[in-house]
Amino acid sequence: MKHAATLKPKPPPLLSDYDANDFYCEMMGRNGLSHTRDIRKRLNALDIAALRQRARSAEQELLDLGITFTVYSDRDAIDRVLPFDVIPRILSPADWKTIRSGVKQRVAALNAFLHDIYHKQHVLKDGVIPAELVLGNEDYREEMQGVEVPHGTYVHICGTDIVRDEKGNFRVLEDNARCPSGVSYVIENRHLMMRAFPDLAEGIAIADVDSYGAQLARAMAAVAPKGVSTPTVALLSPGVYNSAYFEHVYLAREMGAPLVEGPDLTVENDKVYMRTTNGLEEVHVIYRRIDDAFLDPHAFRPDSMLGVPGLFEAYRKGNVTLANAVGTGVADDKAVYAYMPRIIKYYLDEDPIIENVPTNICREHEGLQVTLDNLDKLVTKPVGEAGGYGVVIGPRASKRELKDLRAKLTKDPSNYISQPMIRLSVCPTLVGRAIEPRHVDLRPFALTGDSTWVLPGGLTRVALKRGSLVVNSSQGGGSKDTWVLV
Amino acid sequence: MSSLLARFAGNIYWLGRYLERAENIARILHINETYGRDDPQGPDWRRVLRLYSDEKRFLDEHEDTSPPAVLRFYVLDRNNPTSISSAIASARENARSVRHLISTEMWTQLNIFSGNVRALGQRDLRVNTLSSAANLVVTGCQTFEGIAEGTFLRGEPWCFYQIGKYLERADQTTRILDIGFDRLLLDKDDAVALVQWNLLLRSVSAYHAYRSRHPGGSRPHDIASFLLYDTEFPRAVALCVQRLTDRLQDIETRHNSRRDADVEAARRALEFSLETGPGSELTPNRLHKFLDGLQIDLGNVSNAIRNAYFV
Repeated sequence: MKHAATLKPKPPPLLSDYDANDFYCEMMGRNGLSHTRDIRKRLNALDIAALRQRARSAEQELLDLGITFTVYSDRDAIDRVLPFDVIPRILSPADWKTIRSGVKQRVAALNAFLHDIYHKQHVLKDGVIPAELVLGNEDYREEMQGVEVPHGTYVHICGTDIVRDEKGNFRVLEDNARCPSGVSYVIENRHLMMRAFPDLAEGIAIADVDSYGAQLARAMAAVAPKGVSTPTVALLSPGVYNSAYFEHVYLAREMGAPLVEGPDLTVENDKVYMRTTNGLEEVHVIYRRIDDAFLDPHAFRPDSMLGVPGLFEAYRKGNVTLANAVGTGVADDKAVYAYMPRIIKYYLDEDPIIENVPTNICREHEGLQVTLDNLDKLVTKPVGEAGGYGVVIGPRASKRELKDLRAKLTKDPSNYISQPMIRLSVCPTLVGRAIEPRHVDLRPFALTGDSTWVLPGGLTRVALKRGSLVVNSSQGGGSKDTWVLV
Repeated sequence: MSSLLARFAGNIYWLGRYLERAENIARILHINETYGRDDPQGPDWRRVLRLYSDEKRFLDEHEDTSPPAVLRFYVLDRNNPTSISSAIASARENARSVRHLISTEMWTQLNIFSGNVRALGQRDLRVNTLSSAANLVVTGCQTFEGIAEGTFLRGEPWCFYQIGKYLERADQTTRILDIGFDRLLLDKDDAVALVQWNLLLRSVSAYHAYRSRHPGGSRPHDIASFLLYDTEFPRAVALCVQRLTDRLQDIETRHNSRRDADVEAARRALEFSLETGPGSELTPNRLHKFLDGLQIDLGNVSNAIRNAYFV
């Protein structure tokens, strides 16, 4: 009794009040996953105050290390960090096997598809996908017709957005075949986690993510123009004002490659050179983080200040390799996405290892009928619009909105697809003073030179707002370290 | 291994220059404050403005040269491109462009340091706080320099970093010498003069170094020649010029960049001025003219380097 004043109640286990609200939980599964048992036990031994303290110092460290995206005002450069949640997302060896082989399959199909549509177009002639969907697409680049790219690789760097549904099945939500970003956070999140929570991972075998830079350098060297044995690789960035500039720096450094901007490059006799202290030096492979439209004012947008005049002609002649190739945007388009299962079947004669989110293609009679019959339950998207514009979420739409949609659909069915609402999986996440479920997705990164390698894990993005399904950093999204157990 | 991009050579050069500049401005403000403490009229802040040829620019926007106004101008004012805040912010933006060429530790320290400088306010510029603010800047710059020494690959980028640093340092040493002599040679009272000579030496961390050369006492002529010509004192102009010459040589021979005739001509002109010296009879006026000439020579070298390597 006499020590009563000094006795503190033992804090409850960290995850004791956690409730996944009937979603599939990445940490708990449906009723406790065996592969996360050790990690849960260690998390439960931490109290919330200690967790918050470590989270705060982790965030300060991100600022100190300059792992930030920068917002520029007139005079000041304001650095912001991508919010980081300290509770890792865990993938079992079996999960990872599925994801890795599914991503590889997808990349193989994307490359085969791009090669085909920029050459003989069998896929269009065989009626697998409507020709106007491809040829009429604004990201289809006619200039690429007949251009040969080393190893037939168009999508050297691919980010595949994958979600898990309420049953625990993975689904591909989107392919990113242009300039997918976020990989630097995967690696920095791991470093941060190992510094802030060495005790959490102790003795647990986690797949290493540090080899990404070397793998990227290898892939870039593999696609050098013919006859170049020691290629000079450069990373082309729009510059310090780009919000992903940190990542550009990071990757250039990991590859040991110069980080160039448009004005640093020049084209003479269809060869690309960079301006150095020692005069002009030839560049053979360019990992470009600039969109097609801005690459070359001669070939594409004439007002582009970021690009290099004459670059496309040098590329067409095979004197320089661009990664990713020009014209890949047509393959990660929403309309083309719906056809991906058929594209995989057509080129590889395989069923998708990771399925699409079931998609009704309204240009097809059956798809239209299903959509019209279930308008109030489905998410209906116009295919030509980007950034979520024109999307109608059936269960949240008013009667009037549904009526309008029905009219538009009937008038122009081929402009629409529809999908069921996916109940994304959740992950325990530190929110204020509590651990709450928040929805997550996963973007694994695949590198392809002459073969494909997938970085174990990927970027887990988390929607930090309660109930939100939007994981984008511009809309309150953060990220988590992703542990692939081996 | 490919050559260094011309733009990056410029970024690294300016990174070196801006940090050296910030450190020296902090030293100069500190020494001026300390000098003026015994003066019944307080420190003469016009002297600092004259030193950087900023008088007109300053008086266009300010009514008087009160200590708070001048200190704000040189420490906090982001509209003044030669303030410590501007220099550190410019150093960081240059570093951001070449982050893939410098070490992570260099970037991290600069990141934290620039955050500390950004946090400085008017309250840090009072008589009793100025010295710790100046100290924060000086040690921040020195920490960066130490990290660079231990982690920066000794390639072509490092050469340009060194060139920027030594050019700026040589320029700043001539200015510190100028501010000291402007005041000191006019001082009649030997006892007061001695204290102030020692302060001048301390402001460039030269006091003990000078003592070891001249145990006898502090004579103006010896001090001037020490800060100009001692080839073992790291802030002496001659040593800076020597290092500058060595690194230009490295760029040409080890890093295979071309020799540039204009850079060479400007460098020789600087060397010649330095060798000719201010003459044996040292008057404030003669020394001032000589230092002015050195500053012009240093500016010419800088312009020649820019034209040869950064564009």
